[in-house]
Amino acid sequence: MAEISEAHDSDSSKLQDSGSEAPQRPESEPDFDPKITRKTKPGLKRLFLTFSVLFSFLLGFPFLWKSVEIYRSPLPFREIDSLSTQLRSDNLLFPLHFHALFVGFDSEPDSLRRSILSAIARLASQNPKCSNNYTLSVTVDLDSRCLRSPTSSPHSSTYQCGSITAADFVQNDDVAVDERLASVFGGKTKEYSVVVVKGGNERAVVGKHRHAWMVVGDGSEVEVAAAKVAELLVKVFINGGREEGSIRNEFMPVGADGKIVLSFNLLNADPRDWAYDRDFEKIDDTLLAPMIEALGPVANISVESQVLYHTPKASFSYWNQKLESYVFSTKDLPFFVNSNEWHLDTSIAAGGRSKILQFAVYVPSAKECPLLLQLLNGEISKTNGFISPMWGGVVVWNPQGCLKDSEFKSGAKNIIPIQDLENMFEVFIGQFRQLFGFKSVNVYAGASGDWNLLPSERGFTEWELDVLSRQHTCFNLHSCATTLGSLSRLVQSLPRMIIMDEIGKQVKFSLEAANLALSNASSRVYESSAASSSKASSLAEDAFFHPSIMSVSYYSFEHCFAVYSPFFLPVSMHVLLAALKELRRYKQEKAKNLAWKAKANSAS
Amino acid sequence: MALLRRPLLVLLLVVTHQFLQLWIVFGSVNEEGQKQEEFFEELLLKPLPDRKLLTHFHFQSSAPPSSNGRHHHLFPKAISQLVQKFRVKEMELSFTQGRWNYESWGGFDSIPSSNAKPPGVELWAVFDVPQHLIDALWKNLTHTLSGLFCASINFLESSTAYSAPEWSFPPASGNLRYGTLPREAVCTENLTPWLKLLPCRDKAGISMLLDRPSIYRGFYHSQRLHLTSTGSGSEGLDPGIILEQTLTVVLLPNSQRASLARASEKHIQPSWSLRSIFGKEVSGKCVLAENSNVYLLLDRGLVAELKQLHKEDEESAEKVLASENYWTNPIFELSAKPDRIFIEESSLLSKNSSILYKFEVEKYSESEPFDLGLTWKIPVVWLCQQAPLHASRFLMGSGNERGAIAISLKSTQSCEGFTGANFDDERCELRVDVFQVVPWYVKVYFHSLQVFVDQQPKAVSDIIEKIHVSPSKDKVSPGVMELVLKLPCSVSSAALTIEFDKGFLHIDEYPPDANQGFDIPSAIVSFPNFHASMVFLENDSLNKSPLLSKFQEKSPVMSYTEVLLVPLTTPDFSMPYNVITITCTVFALYFGSLLNALRRRVAEEERFLKDKAAKKSGRLPLLLSKLSAKLRGRHSEPPHSTPGSSSLVNSKLVFKVILVAGLAVCWQYYFS
Repeated sequence: MAEISEAHDSDSSKLQDSGSEAPQRPESEPDFDPKITRKTKPGLKRLFLTFSVLFSFLLGFPFLWKSVEIYRSPLPFREIDSLSTQLRSDNLLFPLHFHALFVGFDSEPDSLRRSILSAIARLASQNPKCSNNYTLSVTVDLDSRCLRSPTSSPHSSTYQCGSITAADFVQNDDVAVDERLASVFGGKTKEYSVVVVKGGNERAVVGKHRHAWMVVGDGSEVEVAAAKVAELLVKVFINGGREEGSIRNEFMPVGADGKIVLSFNLLNADPRDWAYDRDFEKIDDTLLAPMIEALGPVANISVESQVLYHTPKASFSYWNQKLESYVFSTKDLPFFVNSNEWHLDTSIAAGGRSKILQFAVYVPSAKECPLLLQLLNGEISKTNGFISPMWGGVVVWNPQGCLKDSEFKSGAKNIIPIQDLENMFEVFIGQFRQLFGFKSVNVYAGASGDWNLLPSERGFTEWELDVLSRQHTCFNLHSCATTLGSLSRLVQSLPRMIIMDEIGKQVKFSLEAANLALSNASSRVYESSAASSSKASSLAEDAFFHPSIMSVSYYSFEHCFAVYSPFFLPVSMHVLLAALKELRRYKQEKAKNLAWKAKANSAS
Repeated sequence: MALLRRPLLVLLLVVTHQFLQLWIVFGSVNEEGQKQEEFFEELLLKPLPDRKLLTHFHFQSSAPPSSNGRHHHLFPKAISQLVQKFRVKEMELSFTQGRWNYESWGGFDSIPSSNAKPPGVELWAVFDVPQHLIDALWKNLTHTLSGLFCASINFLESSTAYSAPEWSFPPASGNLRYGTLPREAVCTENLTPWLKLLPCRDKAGISMLLDRPSIYRGFYHSQRLHLTSTGSGSEGLDPGIILEQTLTVVLLPNSQRASLARASEKHIQPSWSLRSIFGKEVSGKCVLAENSNVYLLLDRGLVAELKQLHKEDEESAEKVLASENYWTNPIFELSAKPDRIFIEESSLLSKNSSILYKFEVEKYSESEPFDLGLTWKIPVVWLCQQAPLHASRFLMGSGNERGAIAISLKSTQSCEGFTGANFDDERCELRVDVFQVVPWYVKVYFHSLQVFVDQQPKAVSDIIEKIHVSPSKDKVSPGVMELVLKLPCSVSSAALTIEFDKGFLHIDEYPPDANQGFDIPSAIVSFPNFHASMVFLENDSLNKSPLLSKFQEKSPVMSYTEVLLVPLTTPDFSMPYNVITITCTVFALYFGSLLNALRRRVAEEERFLKDKAAKKSGRLPLLLSKLSAKLRGRHSEPPHSTPGSSSLVNSKLVFKVILVAGLAVCWQYYFS
């Protein structure tokens, strides 16, 4: 204590900035009060020091903020928005071209074209999501010369005048006529043609390619024919001949990665009665392979098959004396599939998001054989099968011997007769078509008359595939836009979520593929646009379901606070208090100084 | 001529190959008259010396090669897809609960050497692909299997969890991967998918007996899946697959006798029937099975004992045992008449031969279910055949720093007869293979390997003929040790010790409940010179029974040691936060005091002190005056304290308290 006071005495003269000089000569200035006046200016050294500490502290905060920041790959939010607005604002138009050819009619092509166009406009209910942009050309063939409307259409010029005559349609062989038309119009052009011929017995047929023809009686009016043509164009060629509102139009049983696995199961309800096997290879080659090839642009289909045993159905059937068989009514159908016992496994060969469609043949046991499915109106189902949308189909097959159980050996290995098997697979193909939304019957019943639909041996005709491609593209683009939109909303709503570079890349590629699909669709390349749209949608799904998004999506603010508060809370207290105190003291001392100065001035 | 012909032949081969491929592309392989897919179901029952019963279910499905992989009649689709997708040549997956008791349940038969498995999950697979692709396939395979069997097999994906043994694991090959999960709990959710691979599941046939409570009440159960793919996929054909599914259960039958009170009956083996142990009976075979048999095996030791009991008419003992009506005899009684009796062909190794009774389930039906019962009439005591050495493993040392693993091999007394494996008596040697995997955090020092034979330390090079070591890499791969020991035949005990340091894991790497300890997987001790095989005399129907042909196969005798539990130093898991807090507090203290020191005005404080000193006469008088004031009961008034200033101080204090309380309320409000 003594030393300090000595030191203080020795160098007190140096301490200019402190108020210590004031009380040193109290005697010389009798009215000097160190509490309220001060002679020297207050010093700035300590004030400066504390404030510099405070400021460096504040400057450090941005660095700290930067250091706890997490990595977020930049996502093209604006492009995502523009894609969805583009799709929403009806820019996804599929250009279609129709060509109506009237043979043997003597009327103005212009007026015909006008009446067909007005009929189309009346019929076409615009799909809210994907619309079509159609052009129509009408040709009236008068043996020697052709009248075309519009005269300068680039599409109708492919048709050579007089190459189709009424004589071509005299024969009743629809397949031959179809081939003839295909050779005339050429299979490569993407236009849809309708030929209306006068004379002969009346019929209306839609071919396997993109053609239809109609033979009308001699006395019939051209206006009626035009109305029927318009209906064909709208309902069949544009909409695929399906009823409105049966299955939602954009509903496609295709996995997010564009793959379908067709899993064929043969279910022997009780092998103690009989166990059946089937020659799957033969069916695979003859029936399934062409269909899979035809559906190539829409979906990548793989096939697998197995036989399962001890798989009873989940609900009971009742003996019907009149039919001499067990009857399973439609209202019980939801309980037919027994998911406990039918272990129709998901496939190991299929990748994660492939769509698996199960097609099951149910062989009833002796206790419930023959088993028939009864429709709601009391009739017996002809196919003895049913579909479950997005799941698959079931066909009940009653073995031959179950009526007369005489020559049947229990437990013997039997093979389903090939004829039955073919019928069964035809039913399956019909069910498969139904899952895609097409009709399984070969007649389209329109308001202005019926059209016979010529079935293709590949399961799907060319115009149906076009419909599927268009619909697939449309569905995929919309789902891609929705997924990317949700992703961008999610990312923007969680600012502390880590976003890997890979996700950014996937989003970018998905957008590129979507744009490619859009441009392809507008140039009528349906197959490639379907392919790139499915790529876009699958990439968008990949990005959305990326594992890194699912796992440690963010680390919380509370965590951050808990880690940093033990340091920053006490230190900031010190720094802030010191700064405040120094500031207050400085003001106080300055006021003292000013007071002294004022006094000095008044005194002098 | 030959030279000329060869290119032509090659060309022909190439052409046919291409043609074949083309054929495959169009999926038109349609070969009639191929071997059919087959399924066999069998059950083996064997009384064990310690009053328990071994039940061994054996199911085998086979798919012939070159069948169309897209359609299967009986074979499970999932397995064939798995084999095709991952190019699996051979694979074995086992789920085990409990430990096989080698001492009392035997260690020399085919059943323990191929069905006794380490607890938890064991998976090994051999792949038919080049080396660099194996690891990727293994990882995908583990994930697929984990989905297929509802187990956490996917933990074997990490490279620290599996190893690639070079030669000591029996199906040794460079393309092998081996991994175990000792702590996996096994229960019905693993059995159900396993049953789904059987064509009849548990709806018909022998598998109807699989009553879950009885199985999981057992002392040991091991559910195994072994698949071998035959024929290569290089010809463009799908490989043929043999899928072997076994379930080995050791149960203690409930004694059916009401009066256990009688002292003599306490020693009688408990009598049992299928109904009493499983609560179910077999009502006919699975119609899809080629054959469906139940076997009752009386092993060599038991048969020898039975002969001993028949001593009075020794010359006819053999006859009696094999005679048709042996199933009711003075010692035990069977409730069903066996369809066939097999006697094991006497081997060089032992004079005794085991006896097998065969029951065909086919003959029984729902109205007349099959129930096999065995009733003992007099007490019988026997021993099962042991492996030449009994292996056990334990930990040595204490503390959390280091320790040692010891594998001890003890000669079983019964092995004298087996020394015939090496004929030269002077240089008779016993070969023992040891395969040991240690996780990376158990850092083994391979130089510290010591060998003791009959309690005497021996030079390592004298005993170890061959050694292969791949040291562990931290957080990358486990350590693998493969040894071939040559022990003298007269050995009565041998031990291997190896020291290790316990490593430290990162805080993220600790599993939940880290204080329980870490498992070191079982070591595998195999005796390649000894083969467990049983050849039964009547060979005509053997090729139809996969179980009996399995018995005939010469499989090396193997045994698994115990799983070790190593306690590692586990941190206090809140430690990082504590460290942060204390460090921050120290920093804050330092910072605060530094700041205070910097803005301290020494001279001014001195002056204040002096002022005070001048005003107060001294400390002692002040204290005295305070004391006197207190004594007088009056408030002493310090000379210079003004009432105004004290009230100011009080209001300031109150204000501060209110401020802090307000802050606290705001804080609470904001965060709730």
